[in-house]
Amino acid sequence: VIPNRLVASLLSDSVSSAVLLLCEPFPCIAQTGLSPLSLGRVFFWSSNLEPGLPMCWLQLSRFTLRRETQKQPLPQAFTRLIVYWCSLCSRYRLHGRSEESDQQESLHKLLTSGGLSEDFNTPYFPLRANLIDAISELLIELEGTTDNIAMQALEHIHSNEVIMTIGYSRTVEAFLKEAARKRKFHVIVAECAPFCQGHEMAVRLAKEKIETSVMSDAAIFAVMSRVNKVIIGTKTILANGALIAVSGTHTLALAAKHHSTPLIVCAPMFKLSPQFPNEEDSFHKFVSPQQVLPFTEGEILSKVSVHCPVFDYVPPELITLFISNIGGNAPSYIYRLMSELYHPDDHELKALLV
Amino acid sequence: MMAARGSGRRGAGPGASRGPDPQEEPPPPLQAVLVADSFNRRFFPVSKDRPRVLLPLANVAMIDYTLEFLTATGVEETFVFCCWKSAEIKEHLHKSKWCRRTSPNTVRIVTSDLYRSLGDVLRDVDAKSLVRSDFLLVSGDVVSNINVSVALEEHRMRRKLEKNVSVMTMIFKESSPGHRARCQEDDVILAMDSTTNRILHYQRTQGLKHFSFPMSLFQSNIETVEVRHDLLDCHISICSPQVAELFTDNFDYQTRDDFVRGLLVNEEVLGNQIHMHVTAEEYGACVSNLLMYEAVCSDIIRRWVYPITPEMNFTDDETKSCTHAKHNIYRGAEVSLGHGSVLDENVLVGQGTVIGSKCSIANSVIGQHCKIGDEVTLDGAFLWNGVHVADHVEIRQSIVCDEAEVKEWVKLSPHCVLTSQVVVGPNITLPEGTVISLHPPDEEEDDEDEFSDDSGVNKEENKVKLKGYNKAQVGSEGRGYLWKADDENEVDEEEQRQSLWGPLLKPEEESETESDLSLGSEQPDSRAASPQLDDIKVFQNEVLGTLQRGEEENISCDNLVLEINSLKYAYNIGLKEVMQVLSKVVLEFPLQQLNAELDPQRYCGMLIPLLKNWTPVFKNYIKRASDHLDALSAIEEFFLEHDGLRTSIAKVLMTFYQREILAEETILCWFSQRNASDKGRQLRKNQQLQKFIQWLEEAEEESSEGDQE
Repeated sequence: VIPNRLVASLLSDSVSSAVLLLCEPFPCIAQTGLSPLSLGRVFFWSSNLEPGLPMCWLQLSRFTLRRETQKQPLPQAFTRLIVYWCSLCSRYRLHGRSEESDQQESLHKLLTSGGLSEDFNTPYFPLRANLIDAISELLIELEGTTDNIAMQALEHIHSNEVIMTIGYSRTVEAFLKEAARKRKFHVIVAECAPFCQGHEMAVRLAKEKIETSVMSDAAIFAVMSRVNKVIIGTKTILANGALIAVSGTHTLALAAKHHSTPLIVCAPMFKLSPQFPNEEDSFHKFVSPQQVLPFTEGEILSKVSVHCPVFDYVPPELITLFISNIGGNAPSYIYRLMSELYHPDDHELKALLV
Repeated sequence: MMAARGSGRRGAGPGASRGPDPQEEPPPPLQAVLVADSFNRRFFPVSKDRPRVLLPLANVAMIDYTLEFLTATGVEETFVFCCWKSAEIKEHLHKSKWCRRTSPNTVRIVTSDLYRSLGDVLRDVDAKSLVRSDFLLVSGDVVSNINVSVALEEHRMRRKLEKNVSVMTMIFKESSPGHRARCQEDDVILAMDSTTNRILHYQRTQGLKHFSFPMSLFQSNIETVEVRHDLLDCHISICSPQVAELFTDNFDYQTRDDFVRGLLVNEEVLGNQIHMHVTAEEYGACVSNLLMYEAVCSDIIRRWVYPITPEMNFTDDETKSCTHAKHNIYRGAEVSLGHGSVLDENVLVGQGTVIGSKCSIANSVIGQHCKIGDEVTLDGAFLWNGVHVADHVEIRQSIVCDEAEVKEWVKLSPHCVLTSQVVVGPNITLPEGTVISLHPPDEEEDDEDEFSDDSGVNKEENKVKLKGYNKAQVGSEGRGYLWKADDENEVDEEEQRQSLWGPLLKPEEESETESDLSLGSEQPDSRAASPQLDDIKVFQNEVLGTLQRGEEENISCDNLVLEINSLKYAYNIGLKEVMQVLSKVVLEFPLQQLNAELDPQRYCGMLIPLLKNWTPVFKNYIKRASDHLDALSAIEEFFLEHDGLRTSIAKVLMTFYQREILAEETILCWFSQRNASDKGRQLRKNQQLQKFIQWLEEAEEESSEGDQE
């Protein structure tokens, strides 16, 4: 649900204020729970409505991005879309300007071009049409991602297999449901305490008549010997092929490695981030410890320290395969996909955004 | 009188102005009233240099937390009311992101030096008619991440279903007693109707160990009364515009407590109700004293208020950005940490701070551009901006304000406060609870009514005037005055210190209190058994006096009613109690002249003329069926107490009946009550009473037959 005010300002012709509005009140965005899809739409609308060139927006989004990412408050999918948007802008702009084919420029040119910040102020008219095309393409792609991934399910899931997953992921849910239409298999869901999204996953799968069991996170290793495949979703794929995924995934991945069980990650392309991991500490994202030890506990709270990390860093060597909307890839190939998705100038655009 | 005014207003009030069909319109933009002044001196002398709402909480001003909470919860227009040091607050807000063009929450600042209480502010809100519909009322020291939309929805629902009955929804957070974020002075105990969330009784505990609840709570026809002591008042309330009007109508309301109490007491008269909303998951607290300051600060560092955490830098101020690492270590930009220094856990270090070597720091907040020497131990220390701490200093659970300086080998015991620019040391140990300020404590009185503009001048004067600092108290190079209890106004100062930190929660004491609570009913000797009962006794005496005077001076019944009404308000007595007291007093009236000899004949002879005289008084209070029953039970009680007079009960009832004070149905109803005690049953076996009842029944049959024909 997009707040009315946001839509109103998007409908007005000042896109720049819309972007600022999107970026400024962080908790507001966090609480609206914008999905990547609706964000894509937002971008689409705004580019349609902008009478002139969204050049100011380009600069603005870069500027906001720079400011915002220092404190990483934006939901990652959203920041990624902004980066992607910047990539699109600069790519089309550069291509239009230099009248080259839509292939990437040579390394030499990239080296000698000396950046592009200087010519953003001059209008470039075909950009708008190009961008609108690109964005509608992006929209179609975004809408089809889950289906595209699910379509590949039968290639990976065979009859009578035991499959383990953790927490709740829409992509994995669709993937398993698709496979269940043809084949019978057993799913074990790790509950993913303290938020227990795994329970919801199990309920949804069981409704589709998939044989499902739920178990505690502590039992992951014990159960792993029976498992044929581990299929998980992720929040982000980093540039080196590592994951930022719901906490507990690292345990799961290590257990899978120990038992040589293949670990498959279902993730659409837009989960790809141009960032490399620098400081593993910063990925955990601690939220309120309410779920671990409720505030109502009283006295004890002043005597213990309680933490509630939400995400895990999973190194690339623990992952067997990525299944994205454009097919399966090994972790070592991620760098290539990334260079397709993002403009090289933007790799450095916020090393911090995950 | 009040009732008439109240209801008159209600009719023509917001309901009418809101338009013919509120259902189809989207809810109007949410507004908030933020009171950026506490109207108390709890934070003195800290708040002498800086208004309370600008005190830094984890390096961010308190008011920013409140505004962030309001914005995140969907408020689109906020009125900030300032009084003390309003210029500084204004300047702060103008610089902040709230006053930027893109801010989703429009902040309007209203200043006046005339505000003396929350009541004044709300009366001004009403006078200027600033609010258009339901609004949030918060004080400038609320830290919260509660999403009020659920509570707001409930509130609007209630108001739609029963037009303008519910005027306020208070928001509470569940937290069990003994929690560090519960301070005793804010502790409440309340009774609620758990099906409708209506507040029935609201009382501050104020350290009491025994509580009394009016019996009417449990006798009323509400089936699910819940008494709760596990709630933390977040000081957030959703108010309807009526609240501001009620404050105007009742100029004696100063605080929200006055208002709540007033409404609950007059509920039957005004017909207004207060509801509540309890949140378990989200965080909400109000920084009402330094103990709460400490608790809320550490809650922020420990991420209870997520997503409002230091590294989010929600104020959008470059200098306040920091990173978060394991064990809740927050580090701003350009922080340098000496060799061998350890940031243990729950530490926030502001931008540009330099920490020497071999320091040990835990559970602390350090502001921007502080300098900390070598081998310093900080535990639970709150250092604001620009503080200098020399080598070998130990600070525990203390607050050191802006630009203060702590010299070598100084030790600050828990709960010390050094206000801004104070210098302490070297080589001194400050005892627990020391407060040192550059403002001399006696200056305080002169300063009472002065505001930001001239306080600076005043300071200069005082510096010249004063003889110098007591080196024994602040150290040989120290600068500052001890704010503690050595001089004549000892009691005052002691109070000051206590209230600065707030009463301390001691776990052992707390558990004792709890056991006492449970034993409460078995211990009849409680010292403050119930203020309510005492009130009733005083009230009874007053009513007796009034009636006596009425009898002697032949005052008209209208005036008697007026007088009793005003007494009722003065002692906060419910309607029901008024009636019981009145019946009792009237029935006891002749006893004084009888000199305790109980002769039914003479008693009746004296009572009946009195009853005839005072019929209008009774009629004024006995209206509904339940009132009749209450009066009857009061009469019954009286006759049970005075055995010798029992025979006259029939005559008394007859008089009541004849004067049309009591209706026959209710008398019959009372007579046939099942739950009467043994004594009551004996009373009912009284021959004359039986005859009277029989007569009544026959009369009723006759009349009903008459109706049929």
